[in-house]
Amino acid sequence: MTSDKVSNAGSIFDPTLLSRCISCGFCLPACPTYALTADEASSPRGRINLMRALESGTLPPGDPTLAEQASFCLGCRACEPVCPAGVQYGELLEQWRGFQWTGRGRPMAVRFLIFAAERAWAHQIAGRLRRAAHAPAAGSQHSLMLGCFERTLFPEVSRSALALAPELAVPGNQGCCGALHAHNGEPERGRQLAGQLGARLPGQIVTTSGGCAAHLSSVLGRDRVVELSEYLQNRVTGQVRIGGRQARVALQDSCHLRNGLDVWREPRALLSTVAEYVELASAARCCGAAGTYALVRPRDSRRVLDPKIDEIEAAGIDYVVAVNPGCLRQLRQGLRRRKSAVRALHIAEILRLAAD
Amino acid sequence: MLSTARMNRILGGRPEEMLARAEPGVSTMALNDAAAAHGLFYPPDPGSRTVSTIGGNVATCAGGLRGLKYGVTRNYVPGLTVVLPTGEIVRTGGRLWKDVAGYDLTRLITGSEGTLGVITEVTVALLPDPSASRTGLAYFDSLTQAGRAVSGILAAGVIPSTLEFLDRSCIDAVEQYAHLGLHPDAGALLLFGDDGDEAAVARSFERITAVCEDSGAIAVQTAGDATESEALLTARRCTLPALSRLGSLTIHEDASVPRPRLAEMVARIDAIAARHRVTMATFGHAGDGNLHPTCVLESAEDTEGIARAEGAFAEVFRTAIDLGGTITGEHGVGAAKLPYLEQRLGKAQMDLIRRIKTAFDPAGILNPGKLGS
Repeated sequence: MTSDKVSNAGSIFDPTLLSRCISCGFCLPACPTYALTADEASSPRGRINLMRALESGTLPPGDPTLAEQASFCLGCRACEPVCPAGVQYGELLEQWRGFQWTGRGRPMAVRFLIFAAERAWAHQIAGRLRRAAHAPAAGSQHSLMLGCFERTLFPEVSRSALALAPELAVPGNQGCCGALHAHNGEPERGRQLAGQLGARLPGQIVTTSGGCAAHLSSVLGRDRVVELSEYLQNRVTGQVRIGGRQARVALQDSCHLRNGLDVWREPRALLSTVAEYVELASAARCCGAAGTYALVRPRDSRRVLDPKIDEIEAAGIDYVVAVNPGCLRQLRQGLRRRKSAVRALHIAEILRLAAD
Repeated sequence: MLSTARMNRILGGRPEEMLARAEPGVSTMALNDAAAAHGLFYPPDPGSRTVSTIGGNVATCAGGLRGLKYGVTRNYVPGLTVVLPTGEIVRTGGRLWKDVAGYDLTRLITGSEGTLGVITEVTVALLPDPSASRTGLAYFDSLTQAGRAVSGILAAGVIPSTLEFLDRSCIDAVEQYAHLGLHPDAGALLLFGDDGDEAAVARSFERITAVCEDSGAIAVQTAGDATESEALLTARRCTLPALSRLGSLTIHEDASVPRPRLAEMVARIDAIAARHRVTMATFGHAGDGNLHPTCVLESAEDTEGIARAEGAFAEVFRTAIDLGGTITGEHGVGAAKLPYLEQRLGKAQMDLIRRIKTAFDPAGILNPGKLGS
C-alpha cells in the first residue's frame, strides 16, 4: 500500500481536527445528503473518512469520489451540534475545499461569484443605486453590515433593519465579509476580508445574514458580531395582521446561525411577539440554498428544497421568514415555481411590517 | 462490502399480536417511533439507537440501556429471514412464541456477527408502552460505593428499567458536551430509571432513593419531567463519543461480570490502568454487570501508549473471566477480540463453532477472518 501513496498527503487538514471523529454515526440522521441517498460516502462520517484517505494518501487527490463529495456536501453543519465528540466539521470542510477547489477544480459558478464579490466598489455603487441602507458613522456606537449580494438583490432588507434600529451606523464603503471565500476554497482570503471589514465598521457589527454572522464571529470573535434578531430582542412592537386576523408565520433557520452560533430561539421569540408563530418540522434543516450550492448544484439544491416547500404549503401559513439572504432567495424561488400563496420575507421586513 | 442500509422499510405491523416485520436497514429509533403510534414499544435500547439498525442489532445481539429489566435483542426476535451463503433462503422461527420444531436457528443467527447468513427480514416482538416512566441520578464518592448501591437496589426487590453508571472522567466528558449541570466533585454517578404504572414507578423510586442514601450517596435527584429525563438518557448514550473530547484516540472496550462482582471489577480495572500507566474511563450498564472501560490517549500516533493500553485490556479480559464474567457483553467479538475468545470458551466450544460455521458457509465467503474461522 505504502508505495501507492501520494506525495502531497499529510498537509491538507489540521490533524487534531481530523482525528476527533470516532465514527459513531450520531451525525447520520442529521445529514440532508445522507437522507437523500442513504450512501455512507454522502454522510459526515463518510466524508471524514474520505478526508482521512486524502490526507494519508490512501486515495489520490484526483479521485472522483473526493471531488464529488466535497461538492455534494451542503456545508450546513447540521452534524456539528449533534456530535458528542465535538468534531468541527465546518472547519474541516473549508480545509477540504481549500484543497479540492483550487485552479481548475473550482466550479465555474464559484469562480464567478468570488470574482464579483471581490469588486467591492461595484457593490458600493449597486447599494446606492438600489437604495440599500446608508447612514454616516457620526456618533453611532454600533454598525449595520451590508451584505455584498444582498445590497443588489434585497436592498429592502437593510432599509428595514435600519428603520428598526435607526441608531446604527451604515458606512457605505463596506466590502464582502469573506464567508463566500471561506466556504468555497479560499479560507485564507476569507479571514483576510473579515479582518478588513472588522477594521472598517465601528463597534459591534449587526448583520442580517446568518452565514456572514458565523463567519465574522469565527474571525473577529463572537463578541464583535450580533445577528439582527439577537440585536432586536425585547424591542419589537406591533402586529402583522392579514384580513383582520393575526398572520401565521413560520421560520426557516439559517444553518450557520443555528449550528455555528446556536442562535435559533431569538428569531422565534421575535416572531411569536408579532404574529402567530408556527414551527415547521423541518425548520432547522437546510433549505438547499447553502451559499453557492444552489448555483453549483441546482438539481440537488431543489431535491433538498422540495419537501420543505411541500411542508410550507401544507402548514396553512401566510409568511415563511428567513434570517439569511441566501435562504430568502431560495425560498422565494421555490414558492414562485409552485405559484404558492405563501410569501417569503426576511425577518427585518416582517418586523418592519409589524411596526408600521 | 455488503450493506443493507437501503433496505429500510417497515414491512408491516400486527399491533394486536404485538409484532412487526422490518427490513434490516430500519433504525431502532424508526421502529420504535412506528410502534409508539400503536401504543407499543421495542424494548432493546442500544445507546446508538438513532443510527443502529435492526439488522445490525440482530447480527450483534445488541444490548443497551434497558437490558436489566427487559433483556436484549435475542429476547425480542421470534423470526428471521436469512439468505444463506450457499444460496438458500430460509425463514427461521416466525410469529409463534412456542415453537420447538428443530434447533433454535433464530437464536443461533442472532449475535452471529454476519458470519452465518445475510439477514433480510426481522420479525420483532413489541410490548405495550408503559404509562409512566421516570429517571433519576445518584452521586457517590466512588464507584465502589455506587456498586454497593446497585447490589442493594436489586436485593431490595426492585428491577429498574435503567441502572447505569459513569465514573469521574465520564461525568466530566458528558458535562462538557451536554451542559446538564452534573455534580462537579462526585466520583461516580448512578443513573436509574423505571417504567410501568404510576404507583409502581413511585414505589420503586422510593426504594432506590433509600438504598442510595444508605449506601452513602452525596446527592439523589429525580428528573422533573420527560424532557429532563430524556436529556439525562441522551447524555448517557453519548458517553463514549463525548469521551473522545479528552484525547485524540479512544479505545473502547466491553466486558461483563456477574452483578455482585461489579464493584470489585471496577476496582480491579482502576488498579490495572494504574499499573499500565493508562487513563481509563469506565461507564456502563451497572444493573447488567456490563462495563465499558475506555482508554483515552493524547495522540493517535502514540504507538507505545497503544501497546500499554492493549496490555491493560488483555488483563481486563482475563480478570473478567476470573471473576466468572466474559470478554464481551454486547459489543461482540469481531476481529479485535478473536484472540481472547478461546480463553472464554475453551477448545471444545471453539471447535464446535468452527464446525457450525463450515456447515453454514463451506466456502467461507461471509465475514472471513472473524467468528468461526
